[in-house]
Amino acid sequence: MTMLSHAIFVLILPLVSAAIIALFLRRAGGIAAAVSTLTATAIAGISVLLALRNERFTESFEWMRFGDFAISLGFKFDDLAALMLVIVGIVGLCVHVFSLGYMHDDAAKARYFGGLSIFMFSMLGIVFADNLFMMFIFWELVGFSSYVLINHWHEKQSASDASKKAFIANRVGDFGFLLGIVMCYWLNGTVNLTELAAKGEAHTLVFSTLIPLFLFCGAVGKSAQLPLHVWLPDAMEGPTPVSALIHAATMVAAGIYMLCRINVLMVPDALTVIMWTGTATALYAALCAITQSDIKKVLAYSTLSQLGYMVAAFGLGSLSDTHQHDGVPHTIIIAAGVGAAMFHLTTHAFFKALMFLGSGSVIHGCHHEQDIFKMGGLRMRMPLTFWTFTIGVAAIIGFPYLAGFFSKDAILYLAYAKNTPVFALLALTAVLTSLYMVRLWKLTFLGEPRSDHASHAHEGGLTLTLPLVLLAVLSLVAGYTAFYPKVFSGVFDLIPVAHDTDHTIIFITSLGVMIVGASTGYTFWKSTPTDTLADKLPGLFSALSALRASFDGAYDYYVAKIQQRFALFVNFFEQIFLAGLIVRGLAGFVGLFGLGARALHVGNLNAYVYWFLLGIVMLWLFATGVVTL
Amino acid sequence: MSQLPFDPLLVSIAAPLALALAIALGLPKRWSVLLAYGAFAIPVLMALHVWWHFTATPLPSHGYAFLTRYDTGLSGLGISLHLGLNGIALPLFVLAALVGLAAGLYAIQSGAERLKIYLMLLLIMQGGLMGVFASVDIFFFYFFHELALIPTFIMVGIWGGRDRSYAAMKLTIYLTLGAMVSLLGLIMLYVQSGAHTFDLIALRAHLAAHPLAATLQNNIAGLLLFGLGVLVSLWPLHTWAPLGYGAAPSSAAMLHAGVLKKFGLYGLIQVALPLLPDGLAHWAHPLAWLAVIGNVLIVGVITIAQRDLKQMIGYSSVMHMGYAFLGIAAGGIIGPGGVVLLMVAHGLSVALLFLLATAIYHRTQTFAMDEMGGLAQKTPVLAAFFVAATLASIGLPGFANFWGELAIFVALWKFSPLITALAVAGVVLSAIYGLRSAARVFFGPSTDALAKVTAAHPPVDLSWKERFPALILLAALLFIGFWPKSLTTPVNAALTARAPAAATK
Repeated sequence: MTMLSHAIFVLILPLVSAAIIALFLRRAGGIAAAVSTLTATAIAGISVLLALRNERFTESFEWMRFGDFAISLGFKFDDLAALMLVIVGIVGLCVHVFSLGYMHDDAAKARYFGGLSIFMFSMLGIVFADNLFMMFIFWELVGFSSYVLINHWHEKQSASDASKKAFIANRVGDFGFLLGIVMCYWLNGTVNLTELAAKGEAHTLVFSTLIPLFLFCGAVGKSAQLPLHVWLPDAMEGPTPVSALIHAATMVAAGIYMLCRINVLMVPDALTVIMWTGTATALYAALCAITQSDIKKVLAYSTLSQLGYMVAAFGLGSLSDTHQHDGVPHTIIIAAGVGAAMFHLTTHAFFKALMFLGSGSVIHGCHHEQDIFKMGGLRMRMPLTFWTFTIGVAAIIGFPYLAGFFSKDAILYLAYAKNTPVFALLALTAVLTSLYMVRLWKLTFLGEPRSDHASHAHEGGLTLTLPLVLLAVLSLVAGYTAFYPKVFSGVFDLIPVAHDTDHTIIFITSLGVMIVGASTGYTFWKSTPTDTLADKLPGLFSALSALRASFDGAYDYYVAKIQQRFALFVNFFEQIFLAGLIVRGLAGFVGLFGLGARALHVGNLNAYVYWFLLGIVMLWLFATGVVTL
Repeated sequence: MSQLPFDPLLVSIAAPLALALAIALGLPKRWSVLLAYGAFAIPVLMALHVWWHFTATPLPSHGYAFLTRYDTGLSGLGISLHLGLNGIALPLFVLAALVGLAAGLYAIQSGAERLKIYLMLLLIMQGGLMGVFASVDIFFFYFFHELALIPTFIMVGIWGGRDRSYAAMKLTIYLTLGAMVSLLGLIMLYVQSGAHTFDLIALRAHLAAHPLAATLQNNIAGLLLFGLGVLVSLWPLHTWAPLGYGAAPSSAAMLHAGVLKKFGLYGLIQVALPLLPDGLAHWAHPLAWLAVIGNVLIVGVITIAQRDLKQMIGYSSVMHMGYAFLGIAAGGIIGPGGVVLLMVAHGLSVALLFLLATAIYHRTQTFAMDEMGGLAQKTPVLAAFFVAATLASIGLPGFANFWGELAIFVALWKFSPLITALAVAGVVLSAIYGLRSAARVFFGPSTDALAKVTAAHPPVDLSWKERFPALILLAALLFIGFWPKSLTTPVNAALTARAPAAATK
């Protein structure tokens, strides 16, 4: 088989799996789980194979055509796609295996695993897409899978609401995304990524600030940036493995992947907007995370914050690098934003999936308790979860020489080199990240158990622990790009690297912020059943809570008080004005033809037949020329 | 091209009509029901046959295949029963057959009162619908439409739900008015063309050589837009639709909203666009603004406010017709191409939604969404079908509707970016009402009102008799959704072939 047919196979396989489950395995949850997990295993295997076989290709097949307008189903497999494919494959496999244990007793297991398969299909479509229309198609489809999986426990009102909110918030983003694609199509005559890049090199690309900003709307929705971030914390209503896969590692990162794909279309003004959106999201979400008591909500806000980091990194843009070559200085411009964002996306996918699955393990062990103030002391009872989770925490707070350390430093350096205020805000965010992460870690695992559930907690089976171990290993090593096979060099060569004094400054900064945040978090919060911050600094606590609730409050107000009332008003207007006045008017109009409207009330067959006959007779008269116009 | 020893188009028109006649002549009920399966299935077999063979052979320059002519004694007036399909008629012919089968099967299992008469009317409708899209002759195109329309009024009046007599009256006033005004337009076209023929192929050839004067084109196009616009519920002449569909029995609503309503759009694309290109272009801007502000935005917002499930579907259907008008206004190849796709997709999805709404009603004894909730726990398959149909109708990729909407949006940008932005905003509105209705009916805990109903009648999941017609529609939506070329190839060929005429605007 050629590499292309491997790619096609990888894309189609999960769709077939989902179709089989939907058609035949609705009542056979066990078999459905096996089918879906085997599929995920095959995807992971072939993904790694595809990435390692250093073969890159593009190929497209026409999907539909009207005149000159054609949409193709295409594969653009470069280093960027290869990297994303491997992430999706590995995290997907871990989550499938974890789900085998976590969802073992679920009544609707078949629907769950069918949903995972359809998600894998949609996500792989985004990874492979060689044009923006195709990306949009799969973009909407991941939204659909996310909707189905958030709504898995649909008998809960909260799950139903959350799934709806996620889909609608994403649609708001997709509104802009679609406009951007259509605009790009008419301005540049193509939305094929390779052709756009070629036009960029040939300097024939038509730029407009609107195109990248419209396209960015899609990323704002999917990657949950301000002000559309509100759906992601609510999406935690879905089963925890889903949160790990979709709402931490892969789908929400698709926005960053998409931005990297359309880097050629970027203009400075758009990048500035993107940079500030990302920075604001990073800081805002970190502030929100501090007051959360639900283990998954802390991780959700942390995800928002890290996604903000990636978006900010992308928005910081490219870096010019001057080399001495044979005594002559050479300046090259590298797309450092792409490198830094994708690097952080990679490491984050592993350590955040690890922590989400770790929280799943905790929730499973504590009989579905999610409140960290009712946990504590899990270190002794769930040692493997504890140690792997600890690696995840260490990685995200930038503990030296773990995965997050390298990728976060790359972003901080880029910010340092390009924009000081952003650098300061991102450094502050890093302090907060260490703070709330250590708080979470301490309250969950250290101290004494604060509830019966916690004191009877137990480690899950192999299906729960194996994925944790694999992801923990990746969280340890994923930062060493030098050890990565050369296959991802197209991305990793773009990572900004600090030299000499810059290197020292960044190293000290990142170490400093980590130590300040972590030690404050560790010493300030006590292992008590109530939040220490709420006890000691109630003013700050409620201010942070209010900050968190502000967006939801505004949107709820808009939906309930403005949108709904407006809809009712327009509806009323329609009933009274249009239906009332115009239908009367029309009846009168018909009356002019000498066919009194009252005849219509008769409602018997004859009346209708007369109407019909009249039409025929009229036609006949006109046609034969008895009556002429 | 067709290896059949008979004319598949004539057979698909005649089979339902013949059975209807037999029922009228007193065929016993048992035989009527039994034969009805066949009479609804035959058009589908014929449609699949012509679909399969359509692209297999090269078409003559006028783009029509399966042409046959039957003398009806009116040839002196330039009228004959001239049957044939081009790339635009073919998708709708297939649509009519599929929705007809689904509606027929659903009617048979419904066990409606006076089932025989009900089936007879439905069969007349079905025969008429097959005729509308198989006719090359404008006279018969119109005749078959009337033939299908009249049973609709009667079915609403007799088997309708709440407010049926008012709904039947309103439906009749509006639709008859629309039909008469469009008839006026068609006759003007016949008289003014001077070709002395109702034959579309001959008319097109004649008008290509002798185009009508601009004023004349504008006037005829205006008449057709008004008349056909009423039939397709162009804002603000749409109010018959939600009311009528709310009252109509499910199979009649399926066939009318799904297929018959497309007559107007089909007429605009098949007749007005090639024969009166300048006339339509003249009205394009007012039409687009009416459609985007009225149908898409205002009706979109109104749909959000609906509490009655069937009314909600009716309004959402009016909203989607707005996109169809926008595609026609945008013109070119992409716009009308998108409209043909959307017509087929919308026909399938709205028929599916009406079918499922009735299935829901049988379990909840109400259409009021406030009194439902949590039904998915009892009827997971019904919930899955409904969610799929809803997502299809709000344009999720993977379903046919997406391609139609997408092509229309692309075409529209060239016409007016501002209108495009407004139209795309409708996508958010449809997500709101679509997902909200799915959530209110199926998800969350069940309401007290529903608990009372289900305590008395424990709801059962979708039975196979209900599931089968739904499956036909859903499968077609997915098939086109995943393989749009199956339809876009013939549509594109037909539109490209006449592009010079359409491009003069």
